[in-house]
Amino acid sequence: MTHTHRHRARARTAVAALAAATAAVLVATGCSIQIRSEPDPTIGADTMLINADKGNPQFERNFNPFLTNKRTASTWIYEPLLEINPLDGEITPWLASETTLPDARTVDMTIRDGVEWSDGEPMTPDDVVYTFDLIKANPALDLKGAWQHIDTIEQQGDHVVFHLQTDDVPAMEIIGQTTIVPEHLWSKVADPTTYRNPDPVGTGPFTLGNYSALQYSMDKNESYWQAEKIDIAHLILPATNNQLDTVTRGYDWAYSFISDVEGTWGAASDTNSYWFPPGGVIGLMPNLTKAPFDDVNVRNGIALALDRDQIAESATEGYLEPAGQTGLILPNQQDDLDPSIPDQGVIGQDVDGALAAFAQAGYTQQGDQLVGPDGQQLRITILTANGYTDWLRAVQEVRAQLGAIGIDVQIQAPQPAGYQSAIANGEFDMALGGMGNGNTYQAYNTLLNSAFATPVGETTASNFGRFSDPAVDELLDEWKAAIDPAEQQRLSYALQNVVYEQKPVIGLYYGGLWGLFNDSKFTGWPSEKDPYMAPQNYDQAPLLIFTKLKRVDQGAEG
Amino acid sequence: MKYAAQKLGLFVLTLWAAVTLNFILPRLMPGDPTDAAIAKLSQNGPVTEATRAAIEAQLGVPDGNVLQQYVAYLGQVVRLDFGTSYTFFPETVGHLVGQALPYTLILVGACTVIAFVVGTLIGVAAAWKRGTWLDSLPTLSGSFMSTFPYFWTALLLLFFLGYVLHWFPTTGAYGATTTPGFTPEFVGDALLHAVLPAVTILVTSLGGWILGMRNAMINTLGDDYVTFAEANGLKGRTVAVRYAARNAILPNLTGFGLALGGVVGGSILVEQVFGYPGIGYLLFNAVIGQDYPLMQALFLMITVSVLVANFLVDILYGVLDPRTRR
Repeated sequence: MTHTHRHRARARTAVAALAAATAAVLVATGCSIQIRSEPDPTIGADTMLINADKGNPQFERNFNPFLTNKRTASTWIYEPLLEINPLDGEITPWLASETTLPDARTVDMTIRDGVEWSDGEPMTPDDVVYTFDLIKANPALDLKGAWQHIDTIEQQGDHVVFHLQTDDVPAMEIIGQTTIVPEHLWSKVADPTTYRNPDPVGTGPFTLGNYSALQYSMDKNESYWQAEKIDIAHLILPATNNQLDTVTRGYDWAYSFISDVEGTWGAASDTNSYWFPPGGVIGLMPNLTKAPFDDVNVRNGIALALDRDQIAESATEGYLEPAGQTGLILPNQQDDLDPSIPDQGVIGQDVDGALAAFAQAGYTQQGDQLVGPDGQQLRITILTANGYTDWLRAVQEVRAQLGAIGIDVQIQAPQPAGYQSAIANGEFDMALGGMGNGNTYQAYNTLLNSAFATPVGETTASNFGRFSDPAVDELLDEWKAAIDPAEQQRLSYALQNVVYEQKPVIGLYYGGLWGLFNDSKFTGWPSEKDPYMAPQNYDQAPLLIFTKLKRVDQGAEG
Repeated sequence: MKYAAQKLGLFVLTLWAAVTLNFILPRLMPGDPTDAAIAKLSQNGPVTEATRAAIEAQLGVPDGNVLQQYVAYLGQVVRLDFGTSYTFFPETVGHLVGQALPYTLILVGACTVIAFVVGTLIGVAAAWKRGTWLDSLPTLSGSFMSTFPYFWTALLLLFFLGYVLHWFPTTGAYGATTTPGFTPEFVGDALLHAVLPAVTILVTSLGGWILGMRNAMINTLGDDYVTFAEANGLKGRTVAVRYAARNAILPNLTGFGLALGGVVGGSILVEQVFGYPGIGYLLFNAVIGQDYPLMQALFLMITVSVLVANFLVDILYGVLDPRTRR
């Protein structure tokens, strides 16, 4: 089963929801108060206002790229070896100018020449080796788990060669996402696991400018290795706190789920636009260690009973589509899809088919109830997380639709931590969850690999439904050792069919990525027509986006 | 002295019970700090086994069994050392509380005092002039305003005065380009930012003080000694203020003392709506993040404040009303 949530509407507090409701009520009652916003005229045409960093409600000055609580902009100061598009796994070489796999156990990366740290020192392969040694010595910093894959590292001239523990082709992406830090500074740090790194020095396109607890700025790094591609002189990051603030403050780039995006963000300025691509699959995870969910006929019955158009409409306010049953995220991964799977894997509602499937499992409709071999009505408790409003709406639709064929559905909605604990420990009937990954191997590995299927009561971080099939494990092992793209495709098709037929998760709809843009000052944003990168303004995605943006006042060709 | 000693003993016993409960309650919540951190991270993308392991290594697992944790916790309480926050890791709890406390004390403290003083004075006037507009207007409007939840009033003020009319800043305790410090610029900016939260608290809580004082005054004005004073020709104002109000204020004084104790906890919903960096907002984050160290520190601070306020009110009551000492 899935290992994780995946992009969806950010959890909104009741207060923010009420703010939206207040605005909606006022509009509905004919007050017609229209809020407009434009870029702040005191901010120059070369400066971007961006709501990328959320205060709580103020900032803490933490720029340690290895900590989860770091400031968002840490990932624009420190750069990875490879830049990866979360939408489809597309790789752009970054600090590693070239990467080759001589064999399935070896990753050979050529470290880019001519890169400087922002304090003027050269970035060298020594820094790369140092960084990996650092996260090996401090496992708390190894957020991607690089050392679960690496055996040894050696430096050969301007190459850094990673020798892996086993045949492990997908390890390349994991290693590639490691952010590199300067040895000449970090080697003097006493405890890197609690170091706040208040004055960051990196290779990235921006350096830290003015800092306060409510706002900080970034200035263009003129010695950046791609300086000619960076058309932004300054960034301003306020401590973002609420949804009305997002709409009214005149951001050039914002990221937030917004109800009625046309009527709010769209109406606030003629130069506002948005792009909400799918970022993951939201689906029902059956607990395969429990009857009756261990019966594929029951899972088929549930899948066929559901009207995904209605669920997607209700959960995402029409922004996103029903999800297919292959585990892939479309259209991002269209090229990876096995064309022999009907309707791109989308299962339409088929109540008669559902009842037929249930009948094979011994469940029949008696009056208005679906009754099992034990003479009892089928009861399902669906776990979701409180505060995830799109999930709550989805599960309410599911309850109504399954109720219509006679299933008694209960909803449990603990706080996110309680939800996380329950799925990690396998203590649920069915749970709503997120899954899928731009990297198709990782999508299937975390969904299907029985290595993650710990006994109920023991924590896991993936495969929460505890799917277990030796034949599937074999396919995953083969993929892990496959360098040949054709072989990878063959294995991908096989795994797509496993998910389609076995339904270890029942896909419902796609969770979204919520990019909000303003074209007054900068243009070249990623879009449906040119999905060169996910529209998120956090993590490493902005590194590539920054190189694509052009100032409007100097012309797109300037 | 026996009265004070009795109250002190009760204070200590209640404090120990509160401290112990403070240790137990966070641990009864489902999930743990790692789960909370992962739930937060997973909103941005996949979280792997490795990330979970790294976070667990960062946050650390509490040492020893529950009893050992409890003893260590009591030691921390005595030393006022609550360690490192999970939600704001690697910030220390002391740093976070120290940063947030001034904003809450000033905003909520000032509003509580103002609401009490103004509400009491209006209540006295309303009672003395009962039956007139001076009675009905404050009484009705006070009742009306106090029925609204804080956050509803907050949202209305925020929307109209902040976003539509742009009269006041919509978020934070000061502007992004202002540097905190005792300068006219900062103080002025902070006051401007405090207007909306302050008005929210005032209009919502004023009604309670008005009504409480008015009703107590009306009861007092019916007492024989007030009739006697009037019969002896004392001025109405003298009767109202020096005799009736002094006695009538006792219940409100108790409420005021308790309200002052509650100031430390901040006003969670008001602070959250306005993005005000006080203790209430910090507590909200601590609970959502399953942040035991921060939660324990905040709950303890709130509890101790209320207990101390309660204790002081009891002592003060003994001075103001000698009958209670018997």
